[in-house]
Amino acid sequence: MRNRADLVIYWGGNPAECHPRHFTKYALMPKGKHLPRGRKDRTMVLVDIRETKSVKAADIFLQIRPGRDFEVLTILRAIVKGQYVNPAMVAETGLTIEQLRDLVDRMKRARFGVMFFGMGLSMTRGKHMNSSAILTLAAELNAYTKFVAMPMRGHGNVTGADVIMRWTTGYPFGISFDRGYPRFNPGEFSTVDLLVRGDTDAALILGADPGATMPQPAIDHLARIPTIVLDPKVTHTSRLARVHITTAVTGISAPGTGYRMDEVPLPLRPALKSPYPTDEEVVRRIHELVRVKPDWLVHQPRTTQQVF
Amino acid sequence: MNLTVVKNATCTFCGCVCDDIELHANSERIVEAKAACILGKSWFLNHTAERAYPSALIDGREAELDDAIAVAAEYLDKAHLPLVYGLSNVTCEAQREAVSLAERLGGVVDSHTSL
Repeated sequence: MRNRADLVIYWGGNPAECHPRHFTKYALMPKGKHLPRGRKDRTMVLVDIRETKSVKAADIFLQIRPGRDFEVLTILRAIVKGQYVNPAMVAETGLTIEQLRDLVDRMKRARFGVMFFGMGLSMTRGKHMNSSAILTLAAELNAYTKFVAMPMRGHGNVTGADVIMRWTTGYPFGISFDRGYPRFNPGEFSTVDLLVRGDTDAALILGADPGATMPQPAIDHLARIPTIVLDPKVTHTSRLARVHITTAVTGISAPGTGYRMDEVPLPLRPALKSPYPTDEEVVRRIHELVRVKPDWLVHQPRTTQQVF
Repeated sequence: MNLTVVKNATCTFCGCVCDDIELHANSERIVEAKAACILGKSWFLNHTAERAYPSALIDGREAELDDAIAVAAEYLDKAHLPLVYGLSNVTCEAQREAVSLAERLGGVVDSHTSL
């Protein structure tokens, strides 16, 4: 990407303020092997519903109507394939057909295109459908040139969570072991849905503060059931939890590995020594105590447990 | 004052995970984070090695770490469908342990990705 991507598209994100070094260190400014002039060799397109600070860094800013991401992506897919597009539907997106055609033209002409999509796409109306649409668009553009799409990850090692769960269970998130083997079903086993329906009867929360971010019915359920929080700080969630355990801060006083959003694992180099144990140590100790209790499955099937 | 210098330190505040930060720290706090952005600076400079919080809380009261771990294990073992959630601001090593625990419990494991 750094060496080849000459068309960089940010969709539903504001990297200038949320990922301040994304432009300078990774995607826009660096001089690459095939982009010797750095920024001058790249075209940057920003797609968003409002003008953010990132607009200044963009060559082209496409302001779309809120909640129309899926429609824009689908129209782009149609134009890529040369299909008929209904002018009434284009009008609803807030863009003109010329703007959309120009974008598709640039996409096809690019030697290597990349679309970074933020929460403005993946967390608004349409959610999974939007992510799916942008990934499909990227996949289809590979009929013409090299194209990729990548989510702009917010939290430090959320990419690591995807990678570790994929490696150990075969699925990236929303996994249930209630039958003794991993099953993946977002909507059924995703946290907000589980909590809002009241399906879980205990929760272990680490590296997150759902008490500050989740919908109220989900928070209410966390307060009803025994919730255990591991966190370097006493958080909103800790206050409604039965148990809070203070842990060392990842990367500052806890060593280990973290994944960059492009799935490059990096070693953490802590500068401080924490008076608290690491999350890893606490989870392991909880596991040791649970291990000696009678197993809930009479017959433990062959599972990923053997990996560890 | 003697400062420890950590070169090529890794910032885990956002998904960029920049690994070219130079940290200057005394025994208690990081005093300088070179090359870090504004978000990274506040991330590094606002976390200290002080004992700012009790080791553990049980029902809101201060408790010993060992007791808290025992109570946590008891709750999780008794549950029919425990949930292990979060995993974003922890190391891969901790994530691996968490998945392993979820499997042992016959529970659900999930991250911020599902939000």
